Amino acid sequence: MKDLITIGLPSKGRLKDEAILFFKDQGLKILQSEKERNYFGTIENKTNIKIIFLHAKEIIQRLGDGTLDAGISGLDLLRESEMNLQKKIVINKKLDFGNANLVVAVPDDWIDVQTIADLEEVAFDIRSKRNTRLRVATKYPNLTNNFLISKGVTQYKLISSLGATETYPFIGSSEIITDITSTGKTLEDNNLRILKDGLILKSTAYLFVAKKSLSIISRILF
Amino acid sequence: MKSKKLSEVIIKTFKSNGFVLSEPDVLLDSDYIIERSGEKFRSSMLTFDREDGKTMCLRPDLTVASCISFLQKRSSSKIYYSGQAYRRSGGKSANFINDQLGIEILGSKNQIQDDYKIISTILSSAKKIKRKKILIKIGDIGLFKSLINALDMPERWKLRFIRHFWRPSYFEELLKRLEKNTDIDAVTFDTDKKRFYEMKKKDQDKVVAGRSISEILKRFDKKIKDPRSFVDGKKIVKIIKSFLKINCKLSELDERLLDFAKKNNLKKNIFKDFKSILNLKKLNQDINFIANYGRDVEYYTGIVFEVFSGKKEIARGGRYDDLLKSLGAKKKIPAVGAAINLKNI
Repeated sequence: MKDLITIGLPSKGRLKDEAILFFKDQGLKILQSEKERNYFGTIENKTNIKIIFLHAKEIIQRLGDGTLDAGISGLDLLRESEMNLQKKIVINKKLDFGNANLVVAVPDDWIDVQTIADLEEVAFDIRSKRNTRLRVATKYPNLTNNFLISKGVTQYKLISSLGATETYPFIGSSEIITDITSTGKTLEDNNLRILKDGLILKSTAYLFVAKKSLSIISRILF
Repeated sequence: MKSKKLSEVIIKTFKSNGFVLSEPDVLLDSDYIIERSGEKFRSSMLTFDREDGKTMCLRPDLTVASCISFLQKRSSSKIYYSGQAYRRSGGKSANFINDQLGIEILGSKNQIQDDYKIISTILSSAKKIKRKKILIKIGDIGLFKSLINALDMPERWKLRFIRHFWRPSYFEELLKRLEKNTDIDAVTFDTDKKRFYEMKKKDQDKVVAGRSISEILKRFDKKIKDPRSFVDGKKIVKIIKSFLKINCKLSELDERLLDFAKKNNLKKNIFKDFKSILNLKKLNQDINFIANYGRDVEYYTGIVFEVFSGKKEIARGGRYDDLLKSLGAKKKIPAVGAAINLKNI
């Protein structure tokens, strides 16, 4: 029987620090390589656990393809991923860090647009006056689509973005955006405002387990 | 009869009624289709990525493909098509290929005459194949619009109901909201009012994310002046619901509508625009009018119909005056068309 497990942890920033702290609280001390940029780690006195530091999005992918047995990542990234992937991943534990909301934001100067209902009207306006669709820039196309359609907004087009989505409305790449925010400061600093009913998903970090590794994880880890 | 033979019989009828063959492209730019049909349609299309990065799709529908071909000036305005369309439609065993056989009048100049032409042509070709118990069911989105416009409610609510007529479940939600008089826009505007005056001082032509300041302020102003709560949402919901229940023989429609208007204290002449439907009496055919009809396809704007033989739907169609413009035409080009459902013949 296989008794070596691989755990994926976020490779950067606060998410990484908090994840390491979470393991420490469970009595598992993570040891990182002395080489600063090495991506592998171990757990003190646990030779059968391997740690890999990965991009949070990658952790979901690798849980889905079976490379990882467990991992820490965001709920937003799980919900955004393909259905086939989601089916292979089990939510194990909600963690108390990595709080972030996926929201719909519009330029602050659009003072006539406060709610999704307003947005729906403006989208139809744009459609009938200019024969184009309202463009929504996002890193989360699936969640955004489901949300907007459920709220009656149909006259839009998605623009996929990899980063700095907040700039899109002001450089002519889109009219509005959906993005992840924790304090709202980045949106605010870039003259964007969250719609009153524009919350798509409340997210935090979670401990996820690959479905096929459920038994080995419960045997070895927690 | 074999299906090929069947198609030949139908096509012959199309031709003798003056319809000319249109052969639209099989491959279309999928961005173009998304622009028209929305993001939700993306998962229904059969697509591939070309080396240059463009995503192409197999034509998902022959009406849309024929319209595109018409706009490229490759076909005349009174056309028929016969061919395959390709799209996914839920379910694992679903067939990707739909044989479509239909007629369209693109750039319809005479609504009453052209609606009649389409329905009579479809009917006569259907009758050549299935004679048993032919029944036509019709609806008219134009009538619904006339009703909504005659009701005493804020402009924004009217537009909402008209926009979402083709999405029955969301429409129900809107009715519930209206009934309870909970317009989610009913929020305080005080802070924004302050910004309104600030922005009035700015350059009105300045554009923010595609919208000019003057456009934004104009809508804001309209919004605060439009009453957000009004007396009798309940009553209006009742009227809309009872209208959608109208289901009668075409010969009785005149009377039913008058009766409906009288009962609900509406003006007699609000339904003056249904001449096109009344004109169908000339067909001398069993026709049922159903107000709650044609609500599954976004692009219909006027008359909508289905032809049944017994319980089987053998043809359907309708008027779609906005489709060509949404596909890029510079001005509105009215159109009407219908297709035979070969599977049920």
